[in-house]
Amino acid sequence: MSPTTPNPPEGYDVSRENMLDFKVDDQLLEVVETDAKNFILTTVDEVFNWARLSSIWPVTFGLACCAIEMMATSATRYDIDRFGAGAFRATPRQADLMIVSGTVTAKMAKRLKLIYDQMPEPKWVIAMGSCAIGGGPYFKYGYHVVKGVDFIVPVDVYVPGCPPRPEVLLEGLMRLQDKIRGRKGKFRAPKWVTDYAKKIPYRK
Amino acid sequence: MEPKAIFDLLVEHLGEGSAEFREHDIEPWACVSAARIADAGTFLRDDPRLEFNQLMCLSGIDWDGLDENGKGKSTAILGYTGDGVPEDSDRIAEGDFGVAYHLYSHTQRHKFTLRVRVKRDVAAVPTVSGVWSTASWHEREAWDLVGIRFADHPDLRRMLLSEDWEGHPLRKDYRMPDQWSGVPLKGQPYSENPFTPDAPAADAPAGDDTPAEG
Repeated sequence: MSPTTPNPPEGYDVSRENMLDFKVDDQLLEVVETDAKNFILTTVDEVFNWARLSSIWPVTFGLACCAIEMMATSATRYDIDRFGAGAFRATPRQADLMIVSGTVTAKMAKRLKLIYDQMPEPKWVIAMGSCAIGGGPYFKYGYHVVKGVDFIVPVDVYVPGCPPRPEVLLEGLMRLQDKIRGRKGKFRAPKWVTDYAKKIPYRK
Repeated sequence: MEPKAIFDLLVEHLGEGSAEFREHDIEPWACVSAARIADAGTFLRDDPRLEFNQLMCLSGIDWDGLDENGKGKSTAILGYTGDGVPEDSDRIAEGDFGVAYHLYSHTQRHKFTLRVRVKRDVAAVPTVSGVWSTASWHEREAWDLVGIRFADHPDLRRMLLSEDWEGHPLRKDYRMPDQWSGVPLKGQPYSENPFTPDAPAADAPAGDDTPAEG
């Protein structure tokens, strides 16, 4: 349990289903109670999506100072490997995710597009930092800067910051996992937290 | 040695009235004519009292944004007026070009600043890469970004930008490009305008890899 979330009220049922922000039966998989209790029904899409979001391999690709934060994210303190995205591949042909971490210059845009085209489908792109999102400080006078990497490749998740903290990149990765899972990329608190919050008197 | 004494030795070599001295700027500097910059540089390097054996920096200057004292005369740069509003017509720059040479002597432990100034339609200065070999790359950069041509330079190519880049970006009358070599620098997102860097032109003839019919 995260230290920032309040403790559940007395007598509240903190079962696994209440901790999750979605119904297990409806959305993830269906557990069929039988006498043997030894098989699970699910769909191919659910299994494939679960496998994809659980091992997103990024391509080793850093452009500027945001790449330092990306390296910090993959190092021990923040440890992007907890989310299955720690295997930075040295070739785009083994990678699923391109984290565009830094300023995209006009010269680099062609190389970036080439690396993106070499990645096998399915593939995703995170635009990390102000420069990759929209040019950042180079928006007005940067004669050589592409004003946003979404002119070059389609972008799935935008991670703002200059540069973003590693926590923010991890947040962007989790929103990408939500997107792969097929759910809205929006954080929702567990049910018992929202129920508890509604009981606070000043909250309407 | 003090900058004034260095300047006196320089004038003694170049001749009276051939150089101008500004002592009370932040960095004292001497302005010599462009045609004699290599001569002045050779003298400053080889004279045993001076021995300026290092060119610390060589900078290209577009004087269009500066007044006679070298102060910025307006905030208008790169096609924007002083209020930050884009100018309707192309900006016409009229100021001179300049080159600044920052020199240092490791043996005498003194420094000095040389400047030259050329008209905008000339925009050419003799090279000093024969005096200090480090000037070669500095001059390539000044040519790349400011567009000052250095006569007799051994290899005057662009330093940072691509060979097919148009214009010199640090000139005051430079206009921002919308695209370079097919790469969109501004415009529509990928979903509306997919970027394909090596797409052949629409009127290009079909290559041999066209599948045969039948």
